[in-house]
Amino acid sequence: MDNGEAVRGAIELSWVDMTIAAALVLVAGGVSIALRLGLERRLAVASVRTVVQLLLVGFILRQVFDIDSAWLLLGLLVAMTVVASFAAVGRSTRTFRGVTAQAFITLLLTGLVTTFTVTGAIIGIEPWYRPQYVIPLLGMVLGNSLTGISLSLDHLLERLSAGQRVVEMELSHGATRWEAARAPLAEAVRRGMIPVINSMMVVGIVALPGMMTGQILEGADPMKAVMYQIVVMFMIAAATALGCMLIGLLACRHLFNSRHQLRAELIRPRG
Amino acid sequence: MMDVAHRTDGAPAAPARDGVLLRGEDLCVALDDGQMLLRGVHFTLKAGQRMAVAGPSGCGKTMLLRSVAGLIDLVGGRVMLKGRSAAEVGWPAFRRQVVLVDQRPVLLDATVRANLELPFRYRVTQMGVGAQRFDEAEAVALLERLHVEPHRLDQAAPSLSVGQQQRICLVRAMLLRPAVLLLDEPTSALDEPSRDAVEALVAERSQRHGMAALIVTHDSAQAERWCHTRLVLEPLGQELAADG
Repeated sequence: MDNGEAVRGAIELSWVDMTIAAALVLVAGGVSIALRLGLERRLAVASVRTVVQLLLVGFILRQVFDIDSAWLLLGLLVAMTVVASFAAVGRSTRTFRGVTAQAFITLLLTGLVTTFTVTGAIIGIEPWYRPQYVIPLLGMVLGNSLTGISLSLDHLLERLSAGQRVVEMELSHGATRWEAARAPLAEAVRRGMIPVINSMMVVGIVALPGMMTGQILEGADPMKAVMYQIVVMFMIAAATALGCMLIGLLACRHLFNSRHQLRAELIRPRG
Repeated sequence: MMDVAHRTDGAPAAPARDGVLLRGEDLCVALDDGQMLLRGVHFTLKAGQRMAVAGPSGCGKTMLLRSVAGLIDLVGGRVMLKGRSAAEVGWPAFRRQVVLVDQRPVLLDATVRANLELPFRYRVTQMGVGAQRFDEAEAVALLERLHVEPHRLDQAAPSLSVGQQQRICLVRAMLLRPAVLLLDEPTSALDEPSRDAVEALVAERSQRHGMAALIVTHDSAQAERWCHTRLVLEPLGQELAADG
């Protein structure tokens, strides 16, 4: 680090600083060697990936910020959402044809609605596509809601597959497809919401959120950083709730037909 | 065949003019992989009539009931309730009148009461001319008829024996006062007194209210004793006969 002056604004990190930080990873590698954990190789690969991926992102973001184009921004948002969609469905143990497209629609709709609500109605950025606001906020929304969507989807497919007999029992007593799907759907949304609610319960007590920490390190007033963080937490909660509900509705619409039959045969194990 | 009285209460209306309540015409059922299981199955059920469905294991008896209930699509043929198809009646309304009771009991992880109340939460049960409400007195009476003590109402349904669960499933279906019951081996887990009680209750509903039943059973003596007619299925799917 250049010096320890308490100044407002970000303290620039040099390559020497980065080398010292890399030494911290060597400590982790040393622990692995001492305890014969066999993690050195994976740790090295993970460290290199971290550096390469983040440098690449930094490079791309710098280009995007410089070009400052709405179309370029939208293209990037779509690309981020595509990657998030694959990540969201890739973790569930069961799947069905078309699930990635449904996750994409879900993440795109909920991500854009919540992100642009914040950038437009709360922060009030001008012009509406300023990438240095939109990209990090959408990134946080996607990163959190994909976890919720993944948990929701996993539970819903489990309930409709392993619990097929219960659903069909309801249908055979006159339930509509939505009535029969209501309990599995509600539980799936609940499961998907648990991580975000848990993090809201302990935010600031157990750990300071990354975005807030970054702002404080950059020299921002902690109260301003806190207010931004509150907005972000609420944005993530809304996006996750909407995302879990929408993916559930889309999945049920696909897995039940207009004759109010459950098409459990469409659900298959991943692999 | 015994004489039957047309039902005068409850949601299900009188049978069609020809007296037929449920008709299966040239039914063809296939497995998920497309393999044909049943072909050319015909049956007619009049009000108050009970028909046994017989045949060796794996010949498609359960699949026949599931297809009649509309839980799976027919590959061919059609099922008519009082002269109307399920698509015309509306699928939930059709299934509210043609209720399937599985061989293996299916109950929610909740009290017996909650399980019995479940169908009364559905829109099709609450709305329209046949709107119904859960009648606890009737539920208790039916449970007692089937040798299930009324205090079980507040017990967790999964904690009961399979035989008790099987009877609770039957009570849940009968509380809806369906026009037709589709029963898949309804007494397979029951001792003799409980089996006799189930047979007597279904027979009484048939006589007094005109409820018809399509009953899968492996027990030929039960079929002889309990049912008016028999539908025999062959392993490769050719329906043999519906005798009287």
